[in-house]
Amino acid sequence: MKAMQEKVRKLLEEKIDGFIGLKMEHGHPAPFLFSRENLDDLEGLVVGDVRYPLNKTLLRVAGQYPDLTFGVMVRGCDERGLTELSRWNQLHRERVVPVGVACPPELAKLCECYKPYPAEWVVGDKTEGITESKRLVSVENMTQEKRLQHWMKHFNKCIKCYGCRNICPMCFCEVCSLEDRSFIVTGKLPPENPTFHLSRAVHMVGRCIDCGLCEEACPSNIPVRTLYKKVNEIVEKLFDYKTGESPEGKSPLNMLGEVTLELSDVNK
Amino acid sequence: MVKEMEGTEGFEPKIIAFLCNWCSYGGADLAGVSRMQYPASTRTVRVMCTATISPHHILKAFQKGADGVLVGGCHIGDCHYMKGNYMTIKRVAILKELLRFTGFQEERLYLDWISSAEGVKFAEVIRSFTQKIKDLGPSHLRITY
Amino acid sequence: MEYKTVLTTCGYCGCGCGLYLEVLDGQLVGIQPCKTDSVSQGGLCIKGWNIDEFVQHSERLTSPLIKKDGQFTKATWDEALQYVADTFKTIKEEKGPDSLAFLCSAKCTNEENYLLQKLARAAVGTNNVDHCARL
Repeated sequence: MKAMQEKVRKLLEEKIDGFIGLKMEHGHPAPFLFSRENLDDLEGLVVGDVRYPLNKTLLRVAGQYPDLTFGVMVRGCDERGLTELSRWNQLHRERVVPVGVACPPELAKLCECYKPYPAEWVVGDKTEGITESKRLVSVENMTQEKRLQHWMKHFNKCIKCYGCRNICPMCFCEVCSLEDRSFIVTGKLPPENPTFHLSRAVHMVGRCIDCGLCEEACPSNIPVRTLYKKVNEIVEKLFDYKTGESPEGKSPLNMLGEVTLELSDVNK
Repeated sequence: MVKEMEGTEGFEPKIIAFLCNWCSYGGADLAGVSRMQYPASTRTVRVMCTATISPHHILKAFQKGADGVLVGGCHIGDCHYMKGNYMTIKRVAILKELLRFTGFQEERLYLDWISSAEGVKFAEVIRSFTQKIKDLGPSHLRITY
Repeated sequence: MEYKTVLTTCGYCGCGCGLYLEVLDGQLVGIQPCKTDSVSQGGLCIKGWNIDEFVQHSERLTSPLIKKDGQFTKATWDEALQYVADTFKTIKEEKGPDSLAFLCSAKCTNEENYLLQKLARAAVGTNNVDHCARL
């Protein structure tokens, strides 16, 4: 904690105009913008066990003050998010200074994260990433009928709170197709099963950084993260693209590119 | 061919075919003009290019109870808009894998390149796809919808 | 330049989910669920996610209004409360206490609902009290 507070103080004094992190307020860690004018606020800066979509806050604040430089607390997934957001033209990556936190092994295991640490970190120790996802394997091992029942049962619990979309740090669209009345019929619960969730999954192609906030925000405990993990796996397999890895290039569905697939690959 | 036209006992599938205006729709036209016989279970939707077909459209078709969705575009390199079909093959590939993962029979979605001179191929594709859908049975979404 | 999140409770239903109001330069810009809240544990329903809708809505009342000559005119709180008290007194004297009825709301706190029924039963002297959830 102290290390983080010291690092942020130094950055605020020298380099950045504001730092987006968590501040302890009424016993809860809350997202907060620390600024150079109020360095005393840093006493309350915490790393916290809970995770908030700080990238979303960054987009909001940087959108209002595009010429300033901001620091933000990042974990492995948040840093992937910064790379991806920059690729989708949502922020100027050179005006963002990430301050890293490496995730503990319990969290890495829970998230089944393949890289639970950013490029550089101030707090925490490096944990080895987990390459095989038990969640995916357990669904893949089901028969086709069992898989169908599994997903239909989960999607039927959806109360259409839009929590998964609202909290997703990669969802930045101003007009969301899930709110299009001709696509998703209103006044009906659960919402179009499975179109609602499958369309969200398709939107996560080349965007999902596997932070898991969607599943944590779902009040019905739908395993949406498994679905998006699968999307990431599909994208890696088909296009050799790992979301958030390298800052070069474009996301597969965001460019024409060259054809690397044959019809025989598609129509198996 | 005639036997298939009479229809096997069981159900008549509802197949939506998204056909690109320049190639596949032309192919379908040619098949019609040449009086080729193929089952009448396909409803065609003419689009200017298969790149305008979003996964949204395909998902909506399945949600509304389509037993099969066929996407017909130009051959790679022949797209009227140069590279539209590049996007199509990417989208359909991703969607098929996703449908398979969620327990859906991904064979119900089929992508093919049919040029405007390939009337015979069009009829053959429709015939074989309709038979495949008949064998698969009605979509579970049709029953529960 | 100031951004902070204000911890508060959703006012829509009896669950009382904890949430953060995102305030950027004095303007309410967004909602975040409170993940450390023991009740909601980071989940929110669609009403909770949209609790910021009415706060800065253009159609929101900003001051009490009294109808004078068929038109609603702005009044101060003192004027409005005095008017209500005087009118209640008159009605109570002329028609009896049971000609007044009181309606509470689930959007009010339990304490506020208690006060209203006390006003109805003790101050005015009527049992005509109800709640939108028929409490």
